[in-house]
Amino acid sequence: MITSFLMRSFDRSILIAVAILVGLAMLVPALNLLTAPDHPLHVPTYLVSLFGKYLTYALLALALDLVWGFCGILSLGHAAFFALGGYAMGMYLMRQIGARGSYGNPLLPDFMVFLNWKELPWFWHGFDMFWFAALMVVLVPGLLAFVFGWFAFRSRVNGVYLSIITQAMTYALLLAFFRNDMGFGGNNGLTDFKDILGFNIQANGTRAALFAASALMLALCLILTSAIVRSKYGKVLVAVRDAESRTRFLGYRVEHIKLFAFTLSAMMAGIAGALYVPQVGIINPGEFEPGNSIEVVIWTAVGGRGTLIGPIVGAILVNGGKSIFTAAFPEFWLFALGGLFVLVTLFLPKGVVGTAGAYFARRRAELRGQAAETPNNLAVEPMAAE
Amino acid sequence: MNQTIGQTKPTSLLYLDGVSVSFDGFKALNALSFVVEPGELRAIIGPNGAGKTTMMDIITGKTRPDEGQVFFKGEIDLTKRDEAEIASLGIGRKFQKPTVFESHTVWDNLELALNRKRGVFSTLFYRLTAEDRARIEEILATIRMSPRRDDLAANLSHGQKQWLEIGMLLAQEPELLLVDEPVAGMTDAETAETAILLKEIAKSRSVVVVEHDMGFIRELGVKVTCLAEGAVLAEGSIDFVSSDPKVIENYLGR
Amino acid sequence: MYRILQILFVALCLVISAHVVGSRAAEGLGPLIDQLGSAKLSDMDDHITALAKTGDAKVIPVLEALGEGELYQRKSDGKVFLVKAQGADLLLVDPATGAGAGAAPKAAMQKVKVNNAVRRAVRSALGGLTLFSDDTRARLKAAQSMLQTPNADALEAIETAIAAERDGAVRQVLDEARAVTLLVSDRPEDQKRHAIALLAEGNGRNGLAVLTSALATADASLKPDIETAIARIEQTQAFWNAGQNVWYGLSLGSVLLLAAIGLAITFGVMGIINMAHGEMVMLGAYTTFLVQEVIRSSYPQLFDWSLAIALPLAFLVTGAVGLAIERGVIRFLYGRPLETLLATWGISLILQQSVRSIFGPTNREVGNPSWMSGAFELGGLTITWNRLWIIVFALAVFAALLFLLKRTSMGLKMRAVTQNRRIASSMGIRTPWVDALTFALGSGIAGMAGVALSQIDNVSPNLGQGYIIDSFMVVVFGGVGNLWGTLVGAFSLGILNKFLEPYAGAVLGKILVLVLIILFIQKKPRGLFALKGRAVEA
Repeated sequence: MITSFLMRSFDRSILIAVAILVGLAMLVPALNLLTAPDHPLHVPTYLVSLFGKYLTYALLALALDLVWGFCGILSLGHAAFFALGGYAMGMYLMRQIGARGSYGNPLLPDFMVFLNWKELPWFWHGFDMFWFAALMVVLVPGLLAFVFGWFAFRSRVNGVYLSIITQAMTYALLLAFFRNDMGFGGNNGLTDFKDILGFNIQANGTRAALFAASALMLALCLILTSAIVRSKYGKVLVAVRDAESRTRFLGYRVEHIKLFAFTLSAMMAGIAGALYVPQVGIINPGEFEPGNSIEVVIWTAVGGRGTLIGPIVGAILVNGGKSIFTAAFPEFWLFALGGLFVLVTLFLPKGVVGTAGAYFARRRAELRGQAAETPNNLAVEPMAAE
Repeated sequence: MNQTIGQTKPTSLLYLDGVSVSFDGFKALNALSFVVEPGELRAIIGPNGAGKTTMMDIITGKTRPDEGQVFFKGEIDLTKRDEAEIASLGIGRKFQKPTVFESHTVWDNLELALNRKRGVFSTLFYRLTAEDRARIEEILATIRMSPRRDDLAANLSHGQKQWLEIGMLLAQEPELLLVDEPVAGMTDAETAETAILLKEIAKSRSVVVVEHDMGFIRELGVKVTCLAEGAVLAEGSIDFVSSDPKVIENYLGR
Repeated sequence: MYRILQILFVALCLVISAHVVGSRAAEGLGPLIDQLGSAKLSDMDDHITALAKTGDAKVIPVLEALGEGELYQRKSDGKVFLVKAQGADLLLVDPATGAGAGAAPKAAMQKVKVNNAVRRAVRSALGGLTLFSDDTRARLKAAQSMLQTPNADALEAIETAIAAERDGAVRQVLDEARAVTLLVSDRPEDQKRHAIALLAEGNGRNGLAVLTSALATADASLKPDIETAIARIEQTQAFWNAGQNVWYGLSLGSVLLLAAIGLAITFGVMGIINMAHGEMVMLGAYTTFLVQEVIRSSYPQLFDWSLAIALPLAFLVTGAVGLAIERGVIRFLYGRPLETLLATWGISLILQQSVRSIFGPTNREVGNPSWMSGAFELGGLTITWNRLWIIVFALAVFAALLFLLKRTSMGLKMRAVTQNRRIASSMGIRTPWVDALTFALGSGIAGMAGVALSQIDNVSPNLGQGYIIDSFMVVVFGGVGNLWGTLVGAFSLGILNKFLEPYAGAVLGKILVLVLIILFIQKKPRGLFALKGRAVEA
């Protein structure tokens, strides 16, 4: 059942994207590790980490697209899910530092020693084990999304109202994580990581492996989301997006449909955050900034919401642009980003991939239109393939 | 009146008694009582603001009544259930404005409406069986849309959207179908065909039609209920109702 | 009137006689000081008291130096000097004249010995001395310090000071200080009882501490009096604390109302999600800054009028920006609220960065006109003028807006368009025009809010961001499309916030309020004053 479910996900564009991602997962580490630094094809380590960061952003955008593009839920809380996943990973990395911190306390991270704490808070227990931390990376954002969504969708908080309260949720978390008493390092967050799974986090090999992990995880999530949106459940998602009450009157429990997508999406965002933190080496409350969540929305919009490749393309385009822009003309980046928001919503509502897709679809339809003039040419039935 | 219709409760398909609801002091329904028998095709007429749509909202769980009883099949209390639950019980509803899933194909619209398990995981792992395929083909034929199965619903004409929506209701296999102004905006030919379609549908289930078009109602040739100011004004054959002086005053005009 | 003159006359006589006493004593100051050098530690107390009794201001530095260990005796002649270390030598200052007296090697000098008992005596003597200072502020400070650290030895000094004091405020503090000090002294019981009654009368925060500590040591006969007095003070304090919280809450509520009221128009009435709303507030604040800059450089005498000039200007500036945004972007996005949200967020980034590029990223100084600075006391409440004026202003803006919407033809058109665009347009209303003006109105009001907020907040490019989430919360909480809801929402959230703060702290209090609103919206998705009926669903 699962395999047939996953098999359904492969159409040509997904197949190509997955192939590219798997190829990158092998090629980039190889070019980084196996070529000499002066080799023309050498990829420096800082670029490996930078691209790895883009891939985690792409995963975050993909997660948002599942709820926004396919179900019409504009969540402004995805940066929060991302950050929570990041904090879970950060807590594991902090525990790995052990006695090598500035204060040399084997149990307590530096900031706790600094705050004069004597014991590890209860919620820090277990994070010395990778499997536990990995579980928390999906469970914590998932649980928050589940509880939040359970209440919000049941009371039919919709549209912009949902956007506003997800933003309020993010804002509340931002304020909370800034507090030292929360036990997450306050203002400074978690940083100065040393090891991950016993490997030096600064080493080229580890960086390359993290890149490969990000690319493969993105490919995996792409296959998963593709399978989901192609299933009947995916059609229901779109139905909810387009005509929520019609879906309800057909007997679908819209709140359950939304809740599943929202929770799953939050979990994917958490994974993205967990892959992000070891590659940038820090997680702090700034990641909860409400502005960050909205930026994710614009990546998705630029690439094309409601398509699966779009958010990936959008995240990489916008962040690549940001890296170049902020280096060249730092003053103008916010103008460019702000302009992007306005222009995309006004002139490119389907995004780059959506617009290109529509163009090709039109071309194909024209070609088919010419072919259809010959008699007995039946249109291909989409379901027949299964 | 309550006593007389009270006796019909166990055998009725739909039973409303003393239903009232108000919005900000405006009484949309005022102690409305109304019964539909199994297999019945019923037409409802009434001026704007008579409470026709509100009545449908109450039956389908979109609005909760302030007071009164609403029972399905004599024993199921509809006031305690929400839209999805009521739809699963077998009550289908067609909106005044045709509402179909515009970014899905005609086929997918029908597949979504098909009366199968509707949970998250059932839909996630759903596979189209030969039986389901045959059923969809059958409905496509009924609503005369087989050639357009792969077109996006957004590209259909207004009348075709109405039919697709009726087709979706058929796929839902309801025992009671509520239809709100099915021929609004249709051409005369389409109206006549819709009347035939509805009569065909009513052979196997109960249908309640809200309509302004008196010609259409005459064509249906069924029992008519006239609502005004949230209550039943008159009930009976079309000739009986349209000769009622209160109905003429309130609705038809002289 | 006659009585007052009489009191003034008596007071004047007292002051003059005190001066006469002071100058006569100065003649004997030198020997008195020199005695300090040779006195035994156990006798120091008397010498210090004797010095203090002279009431001479010159005694103050001497006693201070004694307390600090900077008072030395010359071994050769036993004379006492104030010293300051300079390399290996000590610079000498004659205490009686305050003139320099050359330098001396350290070996030639001996430090005047002090212990804790001496230091204590010095402190209380100093307190008593400054009580007679000519400077009212110094006297007030001394009285307050006596109030906070009551010392039985100072009682007589306080009583003398009370007799001489002319300033009402100082006198009041002195009376309280006397009562507090009396309790720790060995005065007779009826005087103490009187003191307790006096402490219970005032809103005395100090009285409470003194009474509580006195309760442990007091005679059994006094205890019931003290207990009732404590209960009474606590009661008054609880009352005034609650009052102060309400006041802070009203003040925060007025800020929220100001920030949200423009949004109540654009979001509440028109349904436009304007994420650049906060930036409109920010632009209003910067308009105020510009107006003040011009006034400062060219017309300084107009400074008190700066806000009055800035208000209409801010309204026009932000209204014009709003108009441009509506015509340039938003009108293409009607019916697509999520896209509107994104586009206006983009606009907010552009506006922020523009202001940052023009005015720099740091806070700009916006001054308070004289009528907005300072504070006054109302019972146990401290009320600052700027907060009071902002509450008045917020309510005035609210009333004006209500009037505009309900009583003018423009308001009628606005409501018509938002309720049923098609019908309104078929009635001959130019709906696009009304849309643009309504949006400009909402933006202009945000700009006026910015003028007010510039008085209490930092004027920086990020000013608006701090308000955007709060103002959306207020509008959603109050009920979209309902101005009264915004009013009630703003004040209830403000007061709720300030009542949570003492228990949870400022940040946690805010978090709690956010969580409460989120939960509230689950319960009532349409807010406090929801519109009901079929029209809402459409």
